[in-house]
Amino acid sequence: MASEAVGSNFQKRVIPWRTIARVALVVFFVLFLAVPLFNILVQMVTNPQLLLRQLLIGLTNGAYIALIALGYTLVYGIVELINFAHGEVYMIGAFFSLTLVGLFSLSDETPYATRIPLMLLILVLTMLATALLNAAIERFAYRRLRNAPRLAPLISAIGVSFVLQNVGLLWGYLRFPAFNGVMGSNAVAPKSYPQLIPNDNLLAPLEGVFGEAFRLRFTTKDLVVIVVSATLLIALYTFVQRTKIGKAMRATAQDRDASALMGIDVNRTITLAFLLGGALAGAAGMLVGMYNGTVVYTLGFTAGLRSFTAAVLGGIGNILGAMLGGLLIGLISALSDQYISTEWTNAVVFGILVIILVLRPNGLLGEDVQQKA
Amino acid sequence: MSDKLLDAQGITKQFGGLTAVNSVDFSIERRSISSLIGPNGAGKTTFFNMITGLYTPTSGKVLFDGQEITGTKPHLVTALGIGRTFQNIRLFAQMTALENVLVGRHSRLHAGLIGTLLRLRKVREEEVAARTHALDLLEYVGLGRRRADELSKNLPYGDQRRLEIARALATEPKLLLLDEPTAGMNPNETGELTKLIRRVRDDRGVTILLIEHDMKVVMDISEKVTVLDHGAKIAEGLPELVRADEQVIEAYLGRGAAAHGKGGRMPTAA
Amino acid sequence: MNSRIRAGLIGGIFGLLISLVSGGQIAYLAGIIAGAIASQLAAQEEDVASVRAGIQLGLRAGLVAGALTALGVFIRGFLINPLVNVSADASVVFMLGLGGLVMAGVAGVVFGAIRGLPSPQNRFGTLLAFGLLAVAYPFLDSLLNLRFMNEVIPVLIFILMALGLNIVVGYAGLLDLGYAAFFAIGAYTTGMLASPHFGISMPFWIVIWIAAAVAALFGILLGAPTLPLRGDYLAIVTLGFGEIVPIAANNLDNVTISILGVTLLENFDLTGGPRGINPINRPSLFGYAFEPSQPIPWYFLILGLIVFSIFFILRLRNSRLGRAWSAMREDELAASAMGINLVRTKLLAFAMGATFSGFAGAFYGSFISAITPASFGFDVSVILLCMVILGGLGNITGVILGGLIIQFADRLFLPQLGDVVQGLLQNSNIEVLKEINFKTDFRTMLFGLTLVIMMLVRPEGLVPNERRRRELHADDEATAHERQTLYDAEQA
Repeated sequence: MASEAVGSNFQKRVIPWRTIARVALVVFFVLFLAVPLFNILVQMVTNPQLLLRQLLIGLTNGAYIALIALGYTLVYGIVELINFAHGEVYMIGAFFSLTLVGLFSLSDETPYATRIPLMLLILVLTMLATALLNAAIERFAYRRLRNAPRLAPLISAIGVSFVLQNVGLLWGYLRFPAFNGVMGSNAVAPKSYPQLIPNDNLLAPLEGVFGEAFRLRFTTKDLVVIVVSATLLIALYTFVQRTKIGKAMRATAQDRDASALMGIDVNRTITLAFLLGGALAGAAGMLVGMYNGTVVYTLGFTAGLRSFTAAVLGGIGNILGAMLGGLLIGLISALSDQYISTEWTNAVVFGILVIILVLRPNGLLGEDVQQKA
Repeated sequence: MSDKLLDAQGITKQFGGLTAVNSVDFSIERRSISSLIGPNGAGKTTFFNMITGLYTPTSGKVLFDGQEITGTKPHLVTALGIGRTFQNIRLFAQMTALENVLVGRHSRLHAGLIGTLLRLRKVREEEVAARTHALDLLEYVGLGRRRADELSKNLPYGDQRRLEIARALATEPKLLLLDEPTAGMNPNETGELTKLIRRVRDDRGVTILLIEHDMKVVMDISEKVTVLDHGAKIAEGLPELVRADEQVIEAYLGRGAAAHGKGGRMPTAA
Repeated sequence: MNSRIRAGLIGGIFGLLISLVSGGQIAYLAGIIAGAIASQLAAQEEDVASVRAGIQLGLRAGLVAGALTALGVFIRGFLINPLVNVSADASVVFMLGLGGLVMAGVAGVVFGAIRGLPSPQNRFGTLLAFGLLAVAYPFLDSLLNLRFMNEVIPVLIFILMALGLNIVVGYAGLLDLGYAAFFAIGAYTTGMLASPHFGISMPFWIVIWIAAAVAALFGILLGAPTLPLRGDYLAIVTLGFGEIVPIAANNLDNVTISILGVTLLENFDLTGGPRGINPINRPSLFGYAFEPSQPIPWYFLILGLIVFSIFFILRLRNSRLGRAWSAMREDELAASAMGINLVRTKLLAFAMGATFSGFAGAFYGSFISAITPASFGFDVSVILLCMVILGGLGNITGVILGGLIIQFADRLFLPQLGDVVQGLLQNSNIEVLKEINFKTDFRTMLFGLTLVIMMLVRPEGLVPNERRRRELHADDEATAHERQTLYDAEQA
């Protein structure tokens, strides 16, 4: 620890730390990762049916993770801020939609003729609410810090996420007659979301035709989550690519100052990014609430973590990257749930995040941009 | 070859599709003062950044004092004896003038973690010596000890430029790179700074390379001028010769001006 | 004149809130705190030329603060207590209010007088006065029958950690969102080396060093691959590390490692799983054994650890390494051009920060004697961040003050506020409000709001450090520039 290598003799004094670190990494990898991974591979190959089932679950997870990841990517692309509160916006979306479900007294007994239009209405209202919430967060907690040092808005965002989580907790105290049965009796406990979409297995016929090996599960719920997510993702992509205002967004992401000079209203563009991100998060909140049948105020943290990882994996700032990343993270976490253990899945996702950041910080689809001095 | 302190051979830097510096050969004699000029965006600062290790050249190599330093990390380049200042002053704003210079001494000090925690005698003595040295440097560049405890961002603009030079000198450079040291100064301050630069060379034997837009300064102190345009070297030699070079005038004033052959004047600030 | 009243009012708010919410004999302590704060603030606003001037200034500010404190006592005694059916003797309440007022005045005078001393003595004196207050606290506590000792010790543990986090965030400008992980590592190291868990019982005085070293080692292991990352990415990676450590602690109670059929470990219980490790041995010194029922020795042990840490942190701050940290925080690129090895310097910041957290973890393990993974979650990291940011990044006084405010708000103020509000609501018929659990339901709100409001309103913290204080008089442009360079120099 005495001193740094200095002077003309610095070349002699360099200890090959890099080599040592690499060797240590390889040893660690073989000892703790390669063997378990090999075991997992063996399990996958020997039981393809289980693997396929997990992949289907992963597909559904991936769909909603992609929705949330887009919010991170849209915002980061334009203001270079990790919107830490985004996961909580998604959670609030879930609570908001559940509240509407209670207000409209929807349940699994409501006839489809009224149930489906109402569900669509709730979806739209939820998206609207979370969009406005997200834009309001930007307006009050981030905008003043736009030219502050990079970490200031990030710290503010962490603060907002804590406040929102607390709002989710207090939301659980709502006890108007309309919510009876929906909000439960205990504020902290998970709230149950009525089963609005049937949970019947669409792949059941396969088993009948091809036999035991095709005992897979893919329910109407899965289908709805994937269809709605895909629709929204395509709509967003088209919006950003085709419309004038979408192009303004991409221009602002490239160079904020130049865009302002070109007559683009930067504030409006940033607000739009937050609106869009918030809307998608709200949709995800409702979808996941219906899919899982429960909503709890701690929902946002894990989802936020996975989605952020997805955004980074795909290349943060890149819309297609966020979709791809979402899908991959969904698949990986589903596999980890099965083959490692649900308790370790967050750790696995974080491990992946670290590995990407270290090896390929620009993500799978990100462009290699040299930082200017 | 030994009288060449710096020798860059065919260095090139590309950013994506853009070639910022294109196969430039460049060398500096020991104890000389040279200038690097050229229009904005000609690649001068990129060139500096390659020498100091902030960028790794896409191709080519850099020799310093007979040793190859291509792609060496910036802090090691500094330790080897290249000091620099920045185009848009990059002092440590929240630190005092004295502390800024002390940071410059970083690579010449040896206090480690244990020595610091136990405050060993060696460390204490080193610290006292470093302070004396830093105060002397402040005086040398004309800031005086009086300003030593002022936060660097509260210093007047001209003093900030001087402080940056003091900080660079604290690294005990053999080669000092100055990136537009007189930018934004009035003629009086510019004159003073020019004298300081010459003094640094004469008293301390430091070789100096500067990027400069003020042609008066360039003509006044340079022994050699190199002109970059669009990343390529277009002229090199004695100041008077470069000033008369057609290509140079063209680069600065555009084709039309060169055709008229009015080579006597060049912009004082491009 | 105005500034004295303002200082008195600010100090008085503390006194008012404390006496309003806690009630009882704490009024005296509330008075001392309010008076001291008011006097310090007033002395900061104007130059105190002499002891006499200091006494005058301190007296005025202290009495204003005392008046507010007394107001708090009276509201509590005459308005709230009857509502919640606590009988109060009017003369007792009156005496308490008067006591608060007098104590505030006395504290104001004492601190004001010290500030009036010539230059080196005034700082030394202020330090000594606060030091005496800290040393005297346990006796005040028993004298006033406050029974806060068991809360005060965890508060001090958190302050020790905040001091370590301040090295990482305040000095070196690296946002670490997983700092609690090092706390956990320190505590678990202690648990493994000094408990029946593995049957090892090393003495506390050795374990605490091992715990710090292990925490530092993990700091380096985490930092080495991730420190070249940009600031906000680094924040997320540290957050991940902070998540993984409790997960690991929760699940490593049944470790089986086999390679190519050779079983190295089978069903090995490393961490005790969700139940954690207990009982952890308690320290003993020269034959005197620390007992949970006797908080005073623990109090002085942690106080000693804090003083020890501050001593070394100050040495680091004013050294080659400390300057390198500041330079790196201000401008990474310029720092590397000045010969600073960025990765090494960041690693040292991480390792030193982890070291102090390791100390805190070792103390915590021995003090609580039972550790579980649940005590080291993300909220701990965020609370610590709040403490550091509230007081003022990079400033030890600020960190301690911020830490005291946040911790007392969390551990004493919110629960007692809850009790008061519950009492008031007892007769109302709003069912929902009665259910709200103030001890837990507003914690995260408090931390979140602290972070947001501080960032928006006063990013330099309540007590800007010596230099930044001078800046407050500078023009707005300079302040904007300061904010620009406060945390992160990665604008390039």
